[in-house]
Amino acid sequence: MTGYVLQRLGLMLITLWAIVTLTFFLMHAVPGGPFTSEKMMQPEIQAALNAKYHLDDPLWLQYANYLKGVVTLDLGPSFKYAGMSVNQIIAEGLPVTARVGVLALICVIALGVPLGVIAALNRNRWPDTLVMVIATVGVAVPSYVIATIALYVFALRLGWVPTFGLDDWRGYFLPVFALSGFWISFIARLSRSSLLETLDQDYMTTAKAKGLKRGQILFKHGLRNSLIPIVTVLGPVTANLLTGSFVIEQIFALPGIGRHFVLSITNRDYTAIMGITIFYAAVLMVMIFIVDMLYLVIDPRIKYGARK
Amino acid sequence: MSDIAPEMWEPVARDAAQAEYIAAPSLTYWQDVRQRLWKNRPAMIGLGFIIVLVLAAIFGPLFSPHNYYDQNLKFANIPPLFQTYEVDGTRFFFNSGNFNLYEVTPEGHVEGLLRSTKKDLIKKQQQFKFGDKLVMMDTAKQTLTLDGAPLEPTGWQWNRSNLFGTDQLGRDVLARQLYGARISLTVAFVATLVNFFIGVFYGGISGYLGGRVDMVMMRIVEIISTIPLTLYVILMMVVLNSGFFSVVLAIGTVYWVDMARIVRGQILTLKEQDYVAAARAMGASTGRILTRHLLPNTIGPILVTLTMLIPSAIFIESFMSFIGLGVTPPQASWGTLTSEAVETLRAYPYQLFFPAAAISLTMFAFNFLGDGLRDALDPRLRK
Repeated sequence: MTGYVLQRLGLMLITLWAIVTLTFFLMHAVPGGPFTSEKMMQPEIQAALNAKYHLDDPLWLQYANYLKGVVTLDLGPSFKYAGMSVNQIIAEGLPVTARVGVLALICVIALGVPLGVIAALNRNRWPDTLVMVIATVGVAVPSYVIATIALYVFALRLGWVPTFGLDDWRGYFLPVFALSGFWISFIARLSRSSLLETLDQDYMTTAKAKGLKRGQILFKHGLRNSLIPIVTVLGPVTANLLTGSFVIEQIFALPGIGRHFVLSITNRDYTAIMGITIFYAAVLMVMIFIVDMLYLVIDPRIKYGARK
Repeated sequence: MSDIAPEMWEPVARDAAQAEYIAAPSLTYWQDVRQRLWKNRPAMIGLGFIIVLVLAAIFGPLFSPHNYYDQNLKFANIPPLFQTYEVDGTRFFFNSGNFNLYEVTPEGHVEGLLRSTKKDLIKKQQQFKFGDKLVMMDTAKQTLTLDGAPLEPTGWQWNRSNLFGTDQLGRDVLARQLYGARISLTVAFVATLVNFFIGVFYGGISGYLGGRVDMVMMRIVEIISTIPLTLYVILMMVVLNSGFFSVVLAIGTVYWVDMARIVRGQILTLKEQDYVAAARAMGASTGRILTRHLLPNTIGPILVTLTMLIPSAIFIESFMSFIGLGVTPPQASWGTLTSEAVETLRAYPYQLFFPAAAISLTMFAFNFLGDGLRDALDPRLRK
């Protein structure tokens, strides 16, 4: 068990290192320096800037310095926002992204699983059909389309919610809805098929034959076993909620990390791109790690490390 | 019980030959798959839609009188359907988004802009003269009056010049839509093909060679699959600069991991089969065994993964284009078309309809087809 956790942590570090390296060299493969622009720059200013950001150093030294920075949790200065460090940009955007993202994740679990359960328990009757129709639409329509339509109908036409920003608590509705729509549908479909499969198992019949109550059968025997595939996708769900926030934050003008990321791409702010990518990757890896550990709690049959 | 006739209790004559008779025609695996797919209505509708879409994308632009890049600001933001008015023999419609009156022919072709004779910016009114009649446009209330009385529309009219209307630069939406389908589908198909080759090659080698090579290759896959791939597509786009080939390259080189895993899993179980041993005993090379014996037998799961990869490639491409990292203007893809429509959402919300519908319907079609294929290829579901 401890061995398995250590092994996973080790793999995480290797992956993170691979990401830092890949990102670093990708960003340095971009033609043109970060200060190349249409305007001619005085060679002295150019030299001073290069010296300030250590762009004169040989590549391996820059790489070593950057690695050192990542280890000490310092992602360096932003190239485009004078006086701002990448850490500051992340610290500024994180609360917004985290609030919307966590709310969306809660929605995914709190709505997706019950919808799937309702559908499975009413197999081939109208609640099942209804849930499946909604879920099919939710999987097929891209989040940015859902977001814009919702924005037009609920904010512009009906005026129930503000069109942008999170100053008002009602401002959360649309971004969270647009962000979680796809995954609510996905989880609903997944938990439906997973529960249907579990309901067919022999031990469910046994439980019924023993005379257990319906609720007890469903929760203790049915749900717990069918939850495992749902927990499996929670890692990718988090990943997609994070990347999904690029578009959602742009549409609803939320000052989150996703918006900063897209902005830094259009601004060609290489240190910010690198830093935010690495930050995203780290968050994700921690999430996937937590999900894997959750398995152990939910499914005692899985014994990590025993397979070796 | 008593009403059962006594002859019903007679034993039935048994015929050994009859018992061996095969009533249903014997089907090969693929015939069976085809039959089951054929019976799956959503999957067939999806397939039909995809075929129509591909044909429209290839041949549609050839029949269109417009091209996707010609701008005409005079005819910007014209809707596909409008209410016409008629004053003194002139037929026209009112575009409330940009306060213009356009003259329309009886067949529904948009002829040109009507010039206002007088603009009163303080009262927010414009005057239009038709012979001796005067039409007043109130730009604040968005109403038209004829000599003081409200002007009643004569009826609805489809736009015959531009069937889907025009966008904010006066480009034909239908032409752009068809061209966008071309780009989106090409990106999706080519990127999927690249992913397919990398994935099959990687997974095949890893599964066939096994042992240490397999372990190292699968560790690499494990590392790649924990990396958020959308981020890497974005980084690739930053390095390669926006454009059609960059999108294909970025999407094509990133999403092969699932394919590699599936192919490896299949190959691992297949390579222990006797026919592989037989082939090897006859002196077939590794490459020949892989391509002639092993890969054809993994085609089912590969096919399902492929049909699932295409919609996600379409989605990623439109996602990238939406945040401004996709194809460059004036080229259009469904993503750029959607983001252009979002810019004019407040005044012309209907412009969102066509790109949103196109991409959503395509996603539906591929999802249905993929689900249908998966069911058809699964022998356990055979009835």
